[in-house]
Amino acid sequence: METFAQSLVSGVLTGALYAMIGIGLTVVFGVMRIINLAHGEMVMLGMFGAFWSQKLWKLDPFVSLLVWTPLMFVAGMLLYRLLLRKIIPGGELNTLLYTAGLSLLIANLALFAWTGDYRTISLSYGITPFRPLGIAIAVPLAVAFVLAILITVTLWLFLSRTDLGRAIRATSQNPEASVLMGIDVERVAMVTFGLGTALAGAAGVLLAPSLYLYPTVGELLIVKCFVIVVLGGLGSVPGAIAGGILLGVVESLGAVYVSGTYKDGIGFVLFLAVLLYRPSGLFGAGR
Amino acid sequence: MALLDVQGLTRHFGGVGAVFELSFSVNEGEILGLIGPNGAGKTTVFNLITGFVRPSKGTIRLDGQSVVGLRPHAVARRGIARTFQIVKPFPGLSVRENVTLAAFLRHPARKDAEAAATVQLTRVGLAGRVDELASQLTLMDQKRLEMAKALATRPRLLLLDEPMGGLNATEVDDASDLVRQIRASGVTVVLVEHVMKAIMRISDRVVVMNQGEKIAEGRPERVVEEPAVLAAYFGKRVA
Amino acid sequence: MTRRLLPALLGVAVLVAIPLSIRNSFFLHVCILILMWTVLGAAWNVLGGFAGQVSFGHAALFAVGAYTTIILYLKGGLAPWWGIPLGGLAAALVSVPIGLLCFRLRGPYFALATLAVAEIVKLVALNWESVTAGSVGYLITTLPPVRLFGLEVNWERKPPFFAAAAVLAVVALLTTGWLRNSRLGAYLVAIRENEDAAEAVGIDTVRAKVVTLALSAFLAGMGGGFYAFYFRYVDPDAVAGIGLSMEMVFIAVVGGLGTVGGPLIGAVFLTAVAELVRDRFQMGHLIFYGLFMMLVIRFMPEGIWGRVRRLTPGARTGG
Repeated sequence: METFAQSLVSGVLTGALYAMIGIGLTVVFGVMRIINLAHGEMVMLGMFGAFWSQKLWKLDPFVSLLVWTPLMFVAGMLLYRLLLRKIIPGGELNTLLYTAGLSLLIANLALFAWTGDYRTISLSYGITPFRPLGIAIAVPLAVAFVLAILITVTLWLFLSRTDLGRAIRATSQNPEASVLMGIDVERVAMVTFGLGTALAGAAGVLLAPSLYLYPTVGELLIVKCFVIVVLGGLGSVPGAIAGGILLGVVESLGAVYVSGTYKDGIGFVLFLAVLLYRPSGLFGAGR
Repeated sequence: MALLDVQGLTRHFGGVGAVFELSFSVNEGEILGLIGPNGAGKTTVFNLITGFVRPSKGTIRLDGQSVVGLRPHAVARRGIARTFQIVKPFPGLSVRENVTLAAFLRHPARKDAEAAATVQLTRVGLAGRVDELASQLTLMDQKRLEMAKALATRPRLLLLDEPMGGLNATEVDDASDLVRQIRASGVTVVLVEHVMKAIMRISDRVVVMNQGEKIAEGRPERVVEEPAVLAAYFGKRVA
Repeated sequence: MTRRLLPALLGVAVLVAIPLSIRNSFFLHVCILILMWTVLGAAWNVLGGFAGQVSFGHAALFAVGAYTTIILYLKGGLAPWWGIPLGGLAAALVSVPIGLLCFRLRGPYFALATLAVAEIVKLVALNWESVTAGSVGYLITTLPPVRLFGLEVNWERKPPFFAAAAVLAVVALLTTGWLRNSRLGAYLVAIRENEDAAEAVGIDTVRAKVVTLALSAFLAGMGGGFYAFYFRYVDPDAVAGIGLSMEMVFIAVVGGLGTVGGPLIGAVFLTAVAELVRDRFQMGHLIFYGLFMMLVIRFMPEGIWGRVRRLTPGARTGG
């Protein structure tokens, strides 16, 4: 029972970070109807950002969030403005292939620059876990969890309380109507892509102290990310949160109760099952 | 016996376009108009008959044989062809290739299929544009192409979804003539249309739908005088 | 007819001439790689280029072929010329249920599903140790003694492998050529252009896609079988990684989606980039794959061969 509670808690904590990555992908899909295959690489860049901040500037990874989140936001907007904008009218499959190329490019540039070594970030406060109610929780993961919630709530406030945020949600719900309503779709798309990239980068920074980091980690993360957004329904932010936490918990419980490396497969089986039987997501309305 | 017989057709949806307990039949050689305000479920009826959407309940019979549960291609094989309200050409292919692909259904050999395609293209008045890309045609011509494709599958029953929407007055007249010609060649026609004048002129009978249900049926000039129809079109006040 | 026959004859002549006239084994090795990648690019192109169904999981089919072939050889003593086609057949068989499931999805959703299928296949390869030997993998130490036309075949040299790869590449290109002119090929293009419209005119789109996937899997599986014999080593990372799937996509996209000659051009390009870069940097070639894929989609979405065909006067449009 204690093992169960323990893995449930760590599952929820990791799941919140997964959810952040998922929200980034799903918001971009909602507005632009594109699936960004390079999303995992954005997370990887965030992870390495945190790593080098500590290594070179002795900056705490969580403090470096203040540097990398805005930087990734700008990078995302530029990426959209300079590269993706010209591709999207060519159709969704072209965009898919293009971002696949982008993913290869970024991951392997990173591999070239930083080699394929597995790295870790060690923190002075990362050694002893704190134990509320007898459950051991790693401090960095707990801090990341709190920050993830903070970021998600801020995003939600932005989407529901500001004009630009409302425009993003309107475009996501009905692209044609939003044009008629006088929304500058180009600008909305650019900001949305920036947001998605920033969320991925921030999640990477937050995850960095809790995971191994290596240049091709994005491959693993993007697949997890697909699982999350498909579970929650592509385009839905609350769905991505639920999907992220669900995946975190399933993985965490799987690690305890399923033998061997098959535990990595649970997510995929769940993913396929949902894609095939509830393509609008576990929580979405029926098709 | 009726060529097409629909009984108790029902399809639930979250939003607009649902259909409830709809029954009607189409006689061989007739032109039946299916009309009703936006969101009445007309296009859903076509989607249900042609297998693009599965009914929740009800029967659809062509010549006494059920077509419920068949996938769209199998429905086409049985002899029901359709056009789409928002035209769906194969945009990157030539006009000739578009229709040839449809003609393959009855003519496995490419040469025969191309010959059959040419016949249909001539019939709808696209003989001069066979080598153009489908995406380059005007809306009127894309609607013609849509009909040529449907006809090339050699249907017994042709379902036309707003063949005249977005056309100007002369074009509507041309399209009406074409529909009459198609009927004269032995194909039974059901058409959904918003252009009331045209549908009243060419339909033998009309079925009026509102919010997924049939509210009237009969000869066009009679139906337009029924209070329920007036209410559906001009507001609830009259009812 | 002569327009098509002439380049075909020329191609066969070149294929025969290369191993007879060239003794440089590195050059032959590069040629073998090009031919192998042509088979794989063509396999992907049949589904992705003609039918417009983008798969990110073709490595799974390659892996099924590679494992089948190497297991049949190591445990059953089955010679390459039986093992490779059987590897293709196994991949085709596996692909049918995969297709029936995944083709319920369209566009990007299909692509995501294939990604998941490939990851599952890789996990099975890693964990089903009694059959796949897990992460250890299989190693071929000796190949069977064979006499052909009274001569002992020397497996330590390149020409026998060149011949095998050439036969597979010719099969792959002939299959694609046949497909382009067949009714099935026309159906696939219709599906790519508009799937609903294709169904509406009586095309059984699911059947067409499943048959095409099986064809594609057969070619990819034979490619896997050839790989097993040529590199003599099969393990999950080598034959089931996502990188391999992406390389197949790359070849077809850069060469020209939906063209017959595209995969050959794409394979030449891919191999050339890999070999030119390999001396300087390790792994660096993947950077260039990514970069070229982006450039091609941005500036030349019809691919190199597609562009050449368009610029050649008198080339048939639409094929």
